[in-house]
Amino acid sequence: MIRFLLNGLLRDRSRSLFPLLTVFFGVLLTVFLQAWINGAITSVVDSTARYRTGHVLVMTRAYAKEADQMPIDLALLGVDTLMTGLRHDDPDLLWTPRISFGGLLDIPDEHHETRAQAPVRGMAVDLLSPDSPERTILDVRDAVVRGRAPVRHGEILVGEDLAERLQIQPGDTATLISSTMYGSMSITNFVVVGTLRFGIVAMDKGTLVADVADIQQALDMADGAGEIIGFFRDGVYHEERANAVAAGFNQRFAAVPSSPTAAFAPVMGTLRTQSGLSDYLDYIDAFSVVIVGVFLVAMFVVLWNAGLTGSLRRYGELGVRLAVGEDKTHVYLTLLAESLLIGVIGSAAGTLAGLTVAYYLQIHGFNIGTIMKDSTMLIPNIVRARVTPLTFVIGFLPGVLATLSGTALSGIGIYKRQTSQLFKELES
Amino acid sequence: MLTLTLALRNLLHAGLRTWLNVVALSFSFVAIIFLQGFYDGLNEQVERATVAALYGGGQYWHSSYDPYDPLTLDDAHGVIPAPLDSLIAHRQATPILIRPATIYPQGRFRSVLLKGIDPDQTVLSIPSALLKDRSHGIPAIIGSRMAHSTGLQKGDMVTVQWRDVHGTFDARDVVIAEVFRSTVQDIDNEQIWIPLDELRRFTRTPDEATIVVLGQRVAPPGSVGGWDFRDLSFLLRDLHTLVRMKSVGASILYLLLLFLAMLAIFDTQVLSIWRRRKEMGTLMALGMTRGGVIRLFTTEGALHSILAALVAAMYGIPLMAFVANTGFALPNAADTMGFAIGEKLFPVYSPSLVVGTTVLVCLVTTIVSFLPTRRIAHLKPTDALRGKLS
Amino acid sequence: MIRPIFLALAFLPGTLSSQTPNGDEILKRVDENMFSRTRIVTSRMVIHGPREMRTVESKSWQRGTNESYTEFLAPARERGIKMLKLKDMLWEYSPSTDRIIMISGHLLRQSVMGSDLSYEDMMDDPHLPHLYAATVVRRDTAAGRECWVLDLTAKTEDIAYDHRRLWVDEARDVVLKENLYAKSGRLLKTVDVREVRRIQNRWMATSVLYKDVLKEGEGTEFYLDTITLDVPIPDYLLSKAALRR
Repeated sequence: MIRFLLNGLLRDRSRSLFPLLTVFFGVLLTVFLQAWINGAITSVVDSTARYRTGHVLVMTRAYAKEADQMPIDLALLGVDTLMTGLRHDDPDLLWTPRISFGGLLDIPDEHHETRAQAPVRGMAVDLLSPDSPERTILDVRDAVVRGRAPVRHGEILVGEDLAERLQIQPGDTATLISSTMYGSMSITNFVVVGTLRFGIVAMDKGTLVADVADIQQALDMADGAGEIIGFFRDGVYHEERANAVAAGFNQRFAAVPSSPTAAFAPVMGTLRTQSGLSDYLDYIDAFSVVIVGVFLVAMFVVLWNAGLTGSLRRYGELGVRLAVGEDKTHVYLTLLAESLLIGVIGSAAGTLAGLTVAYYLQIHGFNIGTIMKDSTMLIPNIVRARVTPLTFVIGFLPGVLATLSGTALSGIGIYKRQTSQLFKELES
Repeated sequence: MLTLTLALRNLLHAGLRTWLNVVALSFSFVAIIFLQGFYDGLNEQVERATVAALYGGGQYWHSSYDPYDPLTLDDAHGVIPAPLDSLIAHRQATPILIRPATIYPQGRFRSVLLKGIDPDQTVLSIPSALLKDRSHGIPAIIGSRMAHSTGLQKGDMVTVQWRDVHGTFDARDVVIAEVFRSTVQDIDNEQIWIPLDELRRFTRTPDEATIVVLGQRVAPPGSVGGWDFRDLSFLLRDLHTLVRMKSVGASILYLLLLFLAMLAIFDTQVLSIWRRRKEMGTLMALGMTRGGVIRLFTTEGALHSILAALVAAMYGIPLMAFVANTGFALPNAADTMGFAIGEKLFPVYSPSLVVGTTVLVCLVTTIVSFLPTRRIAHLKPTDALRGKLS
Repeated sequence: MIRPIFLALAFLPGTLSSQTPNGDEILKRVDENMFSRTRIVTSRMVIHGPREMRTVESKSWQRGTNESYTEFLAPARERGIKMLKLKDMLWEYSPSTDRIIMISGHLLRQSVMGSDLSYEDMMDDPHLPHLYAATVVRRDTAAGRECWVLDLTAKTEDIAYDHRRLWVDEARDVVLKENLYAKSGRLLKTVDVREVRRIQNRWMATSVLYKDVLKEGEGTEFYLDTITLDVPIPDYLLSKAALRR
């Protein structure tokens, strides 16, 4: 029977193709939209993850208490061992050390004396390792306005406005004056090889990006880092998994509270706990439900409508079938079966296509910067889709149900038709 | 005119089918306006909150003041010039003195900004009135983020150390009079608010300020020597960049919604052209030109959007009016006392949004309605009469 | 009503009598004991960090109180760093960068090598009689010795500590304990002298503990290992050229 219906559908293009395309596109749009919304409204969270907290974050207990003060005297030590452990225990995250620090950037004149000076906030990330996870997490190469990204030790990038203020060009030497982990003054020369545009005034005016190994050296923190961030390989924050990873880690490193080293025991937090965006995360969850809900209703009506028109269109054909003696219920059921087939095939294909597009945009992202004036900005100008478990089902069920119910409603008309009137109707 | 009447009659005669399309299309109308209104509301509210809490009608900065360079703070203060002083006297502006300081919660030290504000000021929404009660010592208010990061709570005492303008150390305990909750991070992170007169006395800066904030809608009194006026477009530039970026993301959403609605229209048009061949043939046989038939069918399709606009207005206006008046409650909002910025979100539906969306949807519907009708151009009336679509 | 109580207190045993010397005079004697024309000093600072203890060694050539040249000897990382103070200017030379950085403004408030002392503390005019008016408030014992307790009130406005309290050894004119206060009267820092030695006819504090009382921690210990007084110091050593030597 199904084969018969399928043949019918395949041979009559107008009976199959248009409804199928409608369902296909409707479902595709819904699936994609759900993933897109998820991605778009989590883009704030995404930039926080990339810049500050990762998806999970390891610090010392003491550091965690005042992380926003950049207390490098409380930084993690033994980072290599910790990283090896983390990579082994949680391989589905990318792990990388970072150091946030403050200091003064001092520009020398030809006599090696101060020509200009400005306070900076430094970000030390792994810029130079050939397999650095930062290539995925925070690719500075895209945001370089002038000059280039560092390729060897001793090279740094600074915010474009900072460079302008200090009147430095790529290639100039700059001295970083900061404090070592032990509080001594640290004076280190770097070569500014490029400038960055973040799109946030505070950062453009005062940020310095350096390689983490250089800063470990400069701040006397061998094998140390302020933080180790963990980033899910797919770039997406998975709350349950992040919680599980953090819980597991904290269990392994549960410190004896009374021990003198307890303050320096590592502790892992998640994006939600560390970013202060907990309210925001709740809020965007609620918001995305509203948007997707509205869209779902719209799609349901469109597909239902398509189901209805599809059946109404076959008024004549059904008349003939009734006229030749086919049972009304049989006609109705075949109509339903047909629409079920269309719904299932269309929804499956639509879901598959929607997921494909969504996955593509989850990985590659859509660069809003390209349609904006300031096209080289580091801060969230890339919007990514985000596939969640819901994405897999959100289009499918409504796709099938809407098509089926549309047909079911319009098909009721079959029972209203009088057999005695059929030939008259068909003549007209 | 004939085309329009005919199209409308055809459309209405189609009954349920038309109305389903109309309803689907009206969803797009409502959803686009509703969401964009929600979005505009969010932006406007953030902007309004920031303006109310911090920027007022613009700020005069002491010429040495650079909020991005903490090293300038030592010198960034001066006696308030007369034109600004008279605004302050008339409560149309309020001075803020900003000094670097160190606090010592739990034996660790951290750098903060000590900000002095007039407890009686009404220019900004910061709950400065909470600084009036000095019976428990020097009152201070902090934001909830600061409270969270320092572990300070209402009623706690904390030692604050600073230097006066001559470099002399001073340290006193302040009492946290209240922890306020605000969506505006710039009045919260790493700062403590205390009464202006106390800070002036402690730092030996009588009648001085770092910035003077004008009331909203107060015209700046022109250029004031030694002070630079910063207008809202300057102060809000980060926010505007962000909004611009977000709105590109949001338009993609509308594009998808519109695309969905157009799917319905396109589908209907294709079907109706396929189904109504005989009718076309008849119309042509009666003397209507091909162009006329195309116009008729396009108008029919386009009319969907007009009807949809009407239907959308019927349920959309009451719905949106309701939401715009009552607002959306935001989660976890009312846990700390203070001033309500982020507790409810009120969407904003501007005339340009409504008119713009309507024109856009009608235009797109017309184009989509026209596309399938091009087949009519190849139609032979004789074939059409026999029900053939060549 | 207040006067009789005040008078009664004045005659209690152990309180100040008519033989009490003038506060400013004591301060002057302290100053005279402490300062020499020139001195060459090697010293150690033991800094208690949150994680570990570090010892910073340096050698210093000082002329009067306005000119000094310091070279750090240990630990390895700090070795070779030089500091020059001329009047109210301070420069630091870092051999690894070959840069001479002027320490001014905000940098002056940074701690020296992670200690409880700031560069500014080093820059302060150490001649207390120039800056403070002293009154004797009582007698007390500190480090097991009889002391005059002096209250110092700032004579000028541009001074870091508005108020100090000194415990001066009655017999040796050396400060054995010092408290530094904020304008509000709040105690900010304490200095405890743990050892005093007689060097070239002067009593000198050779082991001192500095502590910032608002901060957690054990403070910074300072040890004077060798000191030679009144030896000639060549001019070239007290110039910027010496930094790159």
